[in-house]
Amino acid sequence: MSIPTTAAAPLQRLALLLFIAWRNLWRNPARSALTISALVGGLIVVILYASLLEGMMRQMVRYATEVTTGHLQIHRQAYIDDRDLYATLPSDYLAHIEHDLPTLHVAPRLYAAALASSATTSVGALIEAVDPVREPAVTTMLSHLRRGEASLGLSASTSSAASRYNVIVGAQLAKNMGVAPGDELVLVTQAADGSIGNDLYRVAAVLKPLEPNFDRMGVLMSIEAYRQLMSLESGFHELAIKLDDIGTLATDQQQLVDELAALQRQQPLDTLGGEAVVRNWQQLTPAVADMLQLSRSMLIILGFIVVGLASLGMLNTMLMAVHERSHEFGILLAIGMKRRWLLLMVMWESLLLALVAALLGSLLGLPLAHYLATHGIDFSASMPDGYDWGGIVFEPVMRGYLEPSQVVQACVLTLLVSLLASLLPAWHTARLKPAEVLR
Amino acid sequence: MALLTLEGISKRYRQGEVEVQALHAIDLTVAEGEFAALVGPSGSGKTTLLNIIGGLDAPSSGQVRLDATELTALSEAALSDFRLFQLGFVFQAYNLVPVLSALENVELVMVLQGRSDHERRARAEHYLELVGLKALMHRRPAALSGGQQQRVAVARALAAGPRLVLADEPTANLDSENAEALLDSMYHLAREERITFLFSTHDPRVMARAERIITLRDGQIVSDQRPHAAATA
Repeated sequence: MSIPTTAAAPLQRLALLLFIAWRNLWRNPARSALTISALVGGLIVVILYASLLEGMMRQMVRYATEVTTGHLQIHRQAYIDDRDLYATLPSDYLAHIEHDLPTLHVAPRLYAAALASSATTSVGALIEAVDPVREPAVTTMLSHLRRGEASLGLSASTSSAASRYNVIVGAQLAKNMGVAPGDELVLVTQAADGSIGNDLYRVAAVLKPLEPNFDRMGVLMSIEAYRQLMSLESGFHELAIKLDDIGTLATDQQQLVDELAALQRQQPLDTLGGEAVVRNWQQLTPAVADMLQLSRSMLIILGFIVVGLASLGMLNTMLMAVHERSHEFGILLAIGMKRRWLLLMVMWESLLLALVAALLGSLLGLPLAHYLATHGIDFSASMPDGYDWGGIVFEPVMRGYLEPSQVVQACVLTLLVSLLASLLPAWHTARLKPAEVLR
Repeated sequence: MALLTLEGISKRYRQGEVEVQALHAIDLTVAEGEFAALVGPSGSGKTTLLNIIGGLDAPSSGQVRLDATELTALSEAALSDFRLFQLGFVFQAYNLVPVLSALENVELVMVLQGRSDHERRARAEHYLELVGLKALMHRRPAALSGGQQQRVAVARALAAGPRLVLADEPTANLDSENAEALLDSMYHLAREERITFLFSTHDPRVMARAERIITLRDGQIVSDQRPHAAATA
C-alpha cells in the first residue's frame, strides 16, 4: 500500500475502463451491430415522429394565431360572457394603444348574428366586421381566399347597378347558399337601436376553410358597412393584437393589462359591459393549447416506448455478454478490481453502444426529417378539404419541422434508457463471486 | 519471520443437500521468499485453500494473516485493495483480458493501483522482458500460445509488486516445454525479486522445482517437506 499513486489515478482508471469497454463492444461485431441497429431504428422513428408532430403543432399554432385569432385579444367581460352587442370597447382605446404601445399591431373587430338569404335559400350567419387596412397587419384571413378578391369596399358592379358593400363568405356558407363571387345576398339582423337592419351585399370572395364555425356561417364585411347595418356608431367588440415576437407574449400581455387599467382610470367604462379583459391565444383557443400539451406528452410516451423496446435488445445483448465473460470478471475481481469499477465498465459498454446508435440515428434521421420538412406527406387524396379535428383545420400536406433540440432530446432519451437497461447486467456483474466463477 | 500465517482454517460448504468439509483446521506458516507447492489429489482442498489465502473466499473458521493484516477482518473493499497491492494471482488458464495486448494486460493492475504512465510502462516492459515476451508485447492473448499467456500472467502478477504470488495449477494446461519455461520464469523471478510464491499443483515437474512441498489430503495437511534442504543435508 506504499506505492505512490498519481493525482490523475481516478481519471486513468476511468479511461482504462472506457478503453476496455470500447474494445469489448467490438468483440462480437455482429451482435453489437444488431443491437445498435435496433437502437438506431428506434431513434429514427422518434426523430421522424417528433418532426411530424412539431410540424403539425406549428401549423396548429399558426392557424390559431396568424390566420384569425392573433396573439392577444381584448374584449369586455359581458361580451365574453354573453356576446352582448352593446359591450364594446371605446373607439379611442384603439388609438391610445397604438400610440402607447407602438410595437403591437392592433386590428378592431365587430360581430353580430344575422340571417343571410340568397336567391334560393336562407341560413343563419355570423357577421364579422374588420378594418381592411389594419387586419392584414394582424392576421392573414383576408389572403386565405379560395375564389374572388379581398375587397370589402363599395362595388358598383351589382345587378341593380347601385353601389353595394362587398362581403367575403365562408366556404361552407357559400356552398350551402349556392353563392359565388359576383352574386348577391341579403343580410337581415336586429340592429343596435332595436330596428331591423337589412341590406343587400355583393359577394366579393369565398374564403378557404379557416375555422369550422366561420366556414359554415361567416360573413366578413368592413366596419363601415357594419356600422350602417347595425346602427352602431362607435366602439369595437374585439381588438386583436399581433406581436412581432411571440416570445414576449407574457410581458406584452402584462403591458396591455397595465395600459387598459390606465385607460379605464382616465375614461371609466360603463358597469354593464364589465371590465376590459386581455387574453392570449392559449386562453382563447384552449383546445389548441390542450392539444399541443397532449401532443408533447404523447411524444414523450412514444419515445419511451420505442426506445425502451429497442433497449430491451441491448439488455439481452449485455446480459449475454456478461454471462459469457463471468470468468474474465472473476479474474479482474481477483487481481483487485473493485466491484464498482466493474459495474462502471459494464455501464460504459451500454453507454458506448447507445452513443454509437445516437450518432448513427442522428446522421440517418436528420436527412429523413429534412425530407419530411421540405416535401411532407400528401393526404389530399384521403382528407376532405377543410378537414378539421376539434375545431382545428388541418392542411392536406403534413410537413415535418426539423427542431434540432428534439434530435438532441431523442439522443439523450436513448442514452438514458440504455443506461437504465444496463443496470441489470451491471448489477449482475457486480454480484459475481470470484471463487465461484473461477472454478 | 512468517509472511503468511494460517491458524485453524476450516471450510464447509453445501453441495445440494450434502455438507462438504473442504478444509479441516489447517495451520500453516509460509516465510518470506519461499517457493512452495501445495500438492495433493483433486478435491484435496488446494484451490479452496488458495482462494481463502487470496481473500476470494472466506473460511468457515480460523484466521489468515499476511504480516500483521488479518484478512478475515477486512471489508470487501479493503480485501480488494489487499489483493491489488499485496497479492499476485496466476490461474490455470484464461488469465488475461482478451481485448487487451500483453503489455496492456501487464499494465492493467498498475493502472488500478494508480501508478504513473512512465512507471507502468517501464515495469511492464521490464517484466515482459524477464519472461521473454517483450518482442510479443503488443499481441493480444489470442495471438499467444497457452504458455506465453501464462508467462504474461506471471509478468502481470509480479509487475504489480506483490508480497505473495498465488498460482493455482499454473502448468495444468501446458505441454512440457511451456511448463518448463513458465517454471523457469517463476523460479528466477522469485529468487531475484525475493517474492514469495505459493502454488498448487499435481504436476511432478512443478513439485521437482519447489523448495517446499505441502501435501493436502481430504482437506488436511498430511506432510510438509523441504526436499532440497534434505538433499543438501
